[in-house]
Formats: sequence, structure tokens, C-alpha cells
Amino acid sequence: MSQPVRIGLLRLADSAPVLVAANRGLFEDCGIAVQISVEPSWANIADKLIYGLLDAAVMLPPLALACTLGLRGVRAPLLVPMGISEGGNSVVLSSDVAAAVGGETGAIATGRRFAAWAHAQPEPPRLAVVHVFSTHNLLLRYWLAACGADPDRDVRIVSVPPELVVTAMAEGAVAGFCAGAPWGTVAEEQGAGRVALGSSEIWASHPEKCLAVRAAWAADNPLVLQGLLRALLRAGRVCDGGAQAEAVADLLGPEFLGLSRTACRAALPGGDAREHLCFHAPAVWFPWRGHASWFLGQMTRWGWLDGIAEQDERAAVQSYRPDLLEPVARSEGLNWPDEARHPQRRHRGAWIWEADPGPINMRADAFCDD
Amino acid sequence: MHVLLADDDAVRAVALMRVLAAVPGLTLSRLQSGQLLADAVAVHAPDVVIVDMARPDRDALDGVRRVTEANPRPIVMFVDQDDPDFMEAAISAGVCSYNVAGVPPPDMRPILRAAIALFRRHKEAQDELRTVQNRLEERGMVDRAKALLIRERRMTEPDAYRWLRRRAMASGRRIPEIARDLLHDSGKAQP
Repeated sequence: MSQPVRIGLLRLADSAPVLVAANRGLFEDCGIAVQISVEPSWANIADKLIYGLLDAAVMLPPLALACTLGLRGVRAPLLVPMGISEGGNSVVLSSDVAAAVGGETGAIATGRRFAAWAHAQPEPPRLAVVHVFSTHNLLLRYWLAACGADPDRDVRIVSVPPELVVTAMAEGAVAGFCAGAPWGTVAEEQGAGRVALGSSEIWASHPEKCLAVRAAWAADNPLVLQGLLRALLRAGRVCDGGAQAEAVADLLGPEFLGLSRTACRAALPGGDAREHLCFHAPAVWFPWRGHASWFLGQMTRWGWLDGIAEQDERAAVQSYRPDLLEPVARSEGLNWPDEARHPQRRHRGAWIWEADPGPINMRADAFCDD
Repeated sequence: MHVLLADDDAVRAVALMRVLAAVPGLTLSRLQSGQLLADAVAVHAPDVVIVDMARPDRDALDGVRRVTEANPRPIVMFVDQDDPDFMEAAISAGVCSYNVAGVPPPDMRPILRAAIALFRRHKEAQDELRTVQNRLEERGMVDRAKALLIRERRMTEPDAYRWLRRRAMASGRRIPEIARDLLHDSGKAQP
């Protein structure tokens, strides 16, 4: 066995597949050894990947793209060979703001009322996200803009780590936040605020975390990478099975990460949270280049890619590498889709994706303003 | 030049402040415990920020140029493009530094080098402490396992030790591990 794969993750419910793979011996079954590193910040994950102190990480896709483009520090090519999770984030408003905005309604109606409330404030209210280059930030901005609020003028978006954001909101330092599971439910458990909507109500079946690996490491360790992908595919399937949700919640809670067990359980399959995580079916694992393009398109929209050459942007899309996953996915008996056949994902209902050998029954993947 | 130190470890922070106080032309402030990094940067308006990488709020600096209208000078991580080993040493010691762009970038290397040395020494001391603690815990466990054998199997102390050693050799494991299993099986793992 070669050097253990150093894989980084944060204390979040969507780290589950890595923990499950370690706990059930799936990495060993696939012939690899893994050393898990629980990091305190996304910046640590990014810096350690860049300087070779980590080989792989459960990562925010926009942050992986930002590293590849050199938007934060040195340029460091990362590859995205696999998706890890879909959905699972919550937009939470503090109790006061939620009372002012009111009502259980759809994403657009709630957003319009929030925009009206924000316009009426003397100062733009502060909303927290986990990192500037996060899915959370881009989805929150998309939603605000779709509801008539300018995310750069009508609100102030700040970065606050999830474990501090609930307290910050309770103290009135932020009006609300968008963060991954279990933090929405934690805020409700502590009576600090209310989940106004789930991220799937902004973009149904949206990609959330991905696996990112250092390009140089992947080139030097093709077989180890295959073992890693295989173990994580199997672990994703375990995490999706409702029967395993209790055991997965134990790992996220008392046994390993020390998160709120009940709040994690609520976000797993069969749980009672408003927003759920999905780890495998129907094609969570597929690294869609269309997703990379969407993230880059949104980063362009907010002026973050000013000064980046178009060819560099195209190269960043190519950092998504379905070709690395394909042999592993096929040998695990998964139907392999052809992205070229469905470049657009804006289906309001279930749809069928042509794949080999059989088709994949996909779920709705429309946006809130479609 | 104004340096803000964001380190909640009081002993380490004081030691680093003392080292940096000797550098001419340097003024220093320290982040208050419980204060968010982004807020402290807005209040102190430093030219350089030295950050303990164990802080979860370090993410706030990645986006600071986009989020603080009150202090719109961008903050960029100090990166030594020519010397990746230097950066690796800093990150593995657990410390990094940021420059506030818009002021001429000072030579950060001597300052960061001092921080790296301190953080590394601190980490080694902690690792050593942990090893000492582990060793003490292990010895306690072996003592309790011996007492158990003496009490319940009526062995003499040398016999009890030999019993543990024989088991360890037969299974290719360490004596403390055998002791832990024995205590665990008898429900006496806790002191």
C-alpha cells in the first residue's frame, strides 16, 4: 500500500461519505489507506491543497474553480473527478426578521417580501455565508437577484463560519445566513431563527460539495485515485439509504465530528428538515461540466472574474473530469450518462437522461425563477 | 507598519508580541478573544495580519475585499511565489499572514519566520505534552490491569506482568493495548 491519501473535510453533514467509507472499511476494500484531516476553515482546505499538505478534499465547487483560476493566492490546478452531494443548505432568517417577512410561501414570494423589508432598513442588513467562493453565496445571490434585491447594494454579504453564525444571528450581528446542514436546524433548535427556504427551492437538485484533488497528485497516483473514487461511490450509496441514516447521524454526531446528532439526522434521507442532502442517486456523483460553467457564469455576473482570460475560464471548466470517474462508475454497475446530450438542466419535473447501458431517471432541476 | 496578531493562545501570542516588539518601526495590536477577525481588521486597519490557522473565521479574509465597504482595501494572503517550501513550512506550523494591498508590501519574511518558529515550538511542546500524557495514561492502565489480575486471578505482581507480556508477544501488540482490552472486557476501563 502506498502513502495514505490525505483527505480534508469540514465539520458538516455532507462530509458523511468520507466518514462512512473510513468507518466501514470501504477504503481498505478498495485497496487504499486514508488519513482524514478535519479542518477549521475552507481557507485551510484550499491552502493545504495548494501547498501539498492535502491530496484531496470534500470541497465547495466554486472554491475549487477559484483555486484553479488563482483568484485567492497562487494558481493551483485542482481537478474535480466526482460530485459528493446535492442540496442540503438552508437560508435562515433571525426570529425578528422572519416575523417581519412572515409566511410559509414559495422561494420567490418569500424573497420579494425579504427584499421589501431590506429596502426599508436604514442600513443594508448583513447576511452571512460560509465563504465568498461558496455554493451558498452564489445561490443566495441568485435568489436575491431573482426577487428584486441587489446582493451588492441592498444587503451586505459577509463570511462567518457556521459554528459562529448562530450566535452572531442571536446577537443581531447578522439578519440571516445561508449555510449547509446541520446549521439551519441548529439555529431553529436554539430558537435563534427560522429556515425561510432550502437551497433546493432556489435550484432543485443543485450540486453542493464535490471531491477536489490536486492535479499533480492525481497524475502521480492514478490507481490510488481510482480506489478513492470507488470507495466514495460505495459510501455515497450507503449514505443515501434511509436505513443507514441513524448510523450516519451517529458518525456525524457523537462518534466523530461532534455535530448535533438530531440536526444531522433531520437533514439525512427520511429526516424531518425542510431541506435534505442527497449523496448518490440519481447521478450526484457525475461531475457535470455544465455545473462548472454555471458557477463560473455566476462569478462573472458578480464581477469576480474581471481580468480573467476567456481561455483560462474554459480551462477551468475542463478541470471537471468525468473521464477519470467513468471506468470506476461503469465497473460499479452505474449507468454512464453523456453530458453532450443534455447540456441544459432546467427541467421542472422528472426527466430521463440517456445513458449507457440504461437510462437514468432524473429529478427536477429547475431554478426558482424558471 | 501596523501588525494585527490574531491568536487566541495567550502564551504564544505574548511570546510573539515580545519578539516583534524588538523590530523597529512596528506597532502591534492583538485581536480580543471572541472578536471576529473581519471586525478586528475593520477596527485596527492593520497593514499586516498574522493569523493562527486554527481559527475558523479565517475564511472571512478570503472575501474581505468584497465585503467591507468601510475599509475597502483588499487583503491578500502573503505568498512567496519563489519559495513554496517557505509557504509549506508556515502552513504546517499553522500560521499565515496577510498583507493589506494599497500600501507598499513590506518584507514579510523575517516577521513570518519568527512566527513560524514560535508556532512550531509551541506545537512540538504540545505534541510532547500529549506523548507524556499518553505514557502516563498507559502506565496507569497497565497498573490497573495488574491489580485486576492480582485480585481476581490471585497472581503475584511479577506473574501478572508476565501474563500481560506473554499476551502482548503472542498477539504482536503492545502491553498497554492488552491491558486496555483486559480492563474493557472486565468493565473496568474507566479509572
